[in-house]
Amino acid sequence: MVDITEMTNWGVDLIDVRKTYGRSIHALRGVNIQVGRGEIFGLLGPNGAGKSTLVKIMMTVVRPTHALGTILGRPIGHHGKLARTGYLPENHRFPGYLTGNQVLHHFAALAHVPGAVRKKNAGRLLDRLGMTKWADTRVSKYSKGMLQRLGIAQALMNAPELVVLDEPTDGLDPMGRRDVRELLVELKESGTTVFLNSHLLSELEMVCDRVSILIDGLVARQGRLADLTDQTVEYRISYTGNAAAVRGKLVALGATVDEGEAILAGCEADKVNHAIDLIRAAGLMIDSVIPKRVSLEDILAEALADRSGSADAAPVARPVSP
Amino acid sequence: MQFWTLIVDSFRESLDRKIFWVLAGISVLVALAMLSVGIEEHGMSFMFGMWEVETGRYSPLSGLGRANVAGLLVYILMSFFLGWIGVILMVIATADVFPRVMEHGAVDVLISKPLSRPMLFMYKYAASMVFVLIQATLFVGLTFLVCGLRWGVWLPGYLLSIPLLVLLFSYVYCVTVLVGVKTGSTIASILISLGAWMLFTVPVTAVQTFETYPTLMKQERVYHAARVLSWIPPKTSDIQIFAAKWAGAGSAFDLFPKGAIKGADANQMGRAREMDEREMQKSPLMSIGSSVLFEAVVVLLAMVSFCRRDY
Repeated sequence: MVDITEMTNWGVDLIDVRKTYGRSIHALRGVNIQVGRGEIFGLLGPNGAGKSTLVKIMMTVVRPTHALGTILGRPIGHHGKLARTGYLPENHRFPGYLTGNQVLHHFAALAHVPGAVRKKNAGRLLDRLGMTKWADTRVSKYSKGMLQRLGIAQALMNAPELVVLDEPTDGLDPMGRRDVRELLVELKESGTTVFLNSHLLSELEMVCDRVSILIDGLVARQGRLADLTDQTVEYRISYTGNAAAVRGKLVALGATVDEGEAILAGCEADKVNHAIDLIRAAGLMIDSVIPKRVSLEDILAEALADRSGSADAAPVARPVSP
Repeated sequence: MQFWTLIVDSFRESLDRKIFWVLAGISVLVALAMLSVGIEEHGMSFMFGMWEVETGRYSPLSGLGRANVAGLLVYILMSFFLGWIGVILMVIATADVFPRVMEHGAVDVLISKPLSRPMLFMYKYAASMVFVLIQATLFVGLTFLVCGLRWGVWLPGYLLSIPLLVLLFSYVYCVTVLVGVKTGSTIASILISLGAWMLFTVPVTAVQTFETYPTLMKQERVYHAARVLSWIPPKTSDIQIFAAKWAGAGSAFDLFPKGAIKGADANQMGRAREMDEREMQKSPLMSIGSSVLFEAVVVLLAMVSFCRRDY
């Protein structure tokens, strides 16, 4: 018989998660977040928004004041599902007396990974993250970047169905960050659900399918990244030559004219074409026309502005199960 | 799998601590010192025969001599080196186990594994006991072997000192853990637990003082209060009594030749010896049982605090 709770398509389905420290510090005020299986999900928000608290509640490190919902189809903290979840905490510390290889074996054994599987996975992950050479070196001798790579390997030792990564690129150099991005895409392709918590918006933008913006313990925005950023906010037309003759006409169209560049707010194509015609008619050479789309940073800034405008925004509606 | 993983990890952690090797070194040094002492037909030799002492008719291999050897092991070596210095060093060595586990970044990975918090707590608690068990086995085992192989005095009952030492450590360590979990401070847990160890002995010492000096018995209510109170904390001083009894050491007074303790009032000495003998008659079940009950309550408080905490 199939257990009905296993049948949900959500990898993570959090409903009305609340956390109050003491009597008055409301870290989370009724968070609803849904993450589809096999997608890369990004959680973002300003400092103190409650992101780490939410991640810690998911991983049972912090006890919620109230929480409903499931992780991998089971209630939060279900041991069977914790064994199928990988976790990289922010600023993690591993015992300095263990070698990298021992760290991987130690934590995987605690997640009930059999010895033979541990051996195979440790070798593969150390190789994938460029750590084979350091496998038998004590962790106390590792650099921050090496510790981060080891932390990621540790989170993947149990071939998880869900992996929760808190600031995964912290301490990594640009090449390391690229490696991690590629690894995340590989995980997604293999069907693993990836839950990312990061304040590096550009990193999230490059890999996430869906995002949630958490502000003051509430979800302020949530949705597919493509939907949220599918708006052109302005066009930048670069040209060579003196635009004094057409400046007035461009300004009349609503453009801001700087030296060698006209910025046209909005996304109306006819206005852009008209501006291009004006510039060309003045005998100027157009170098480029670049549409600027909404970035995560813009969305976050907008959400923050909305939040400061209204003291208690209504929670974001729960999306339909995929 | 999880139990052995954490025990193996604790073993690795122990080997990484300098204090583990210091304690092991002390055990080896004590065993070597004992090895340098020889028992001859009419006397003893020291420093591997460099210095000989005639003992006349007294032979360490006689009945009284065996009791004296056991007394030397229990009252001086076990009680002093391992009972006092050893327990203090072991508390210092293991006091940071819980504060370290609870550090941000370290605890997160552990707790996110499919391992219940009470189990994690108990595994870590047990791991400290393993550390002490190794040290106690090394010390008692080595001294036991030297006695048997070098002197021909085999004292199997002395081996019971191993669990007794672990028990003594656990009486103090429960407080170390409670303070460590509550405050997250290693220093506080060391100082408070050693202070608590001193406090544990106060009611028992008060009762003994009343019984040694009958004139104080006029304060009958205080005496009765002390007697009741003496049952609450762990009976740390009883450990030495049981170790001596089971090793066949007899009373501590037997260690000294007759007339060696001068200046003491005969009546007072008589009462002290009588009290010592009464102490030897104590029920291990009651003493250890009530002490373990205290320890269980303190450990439970620490475990509840550990489990209910947000990290």
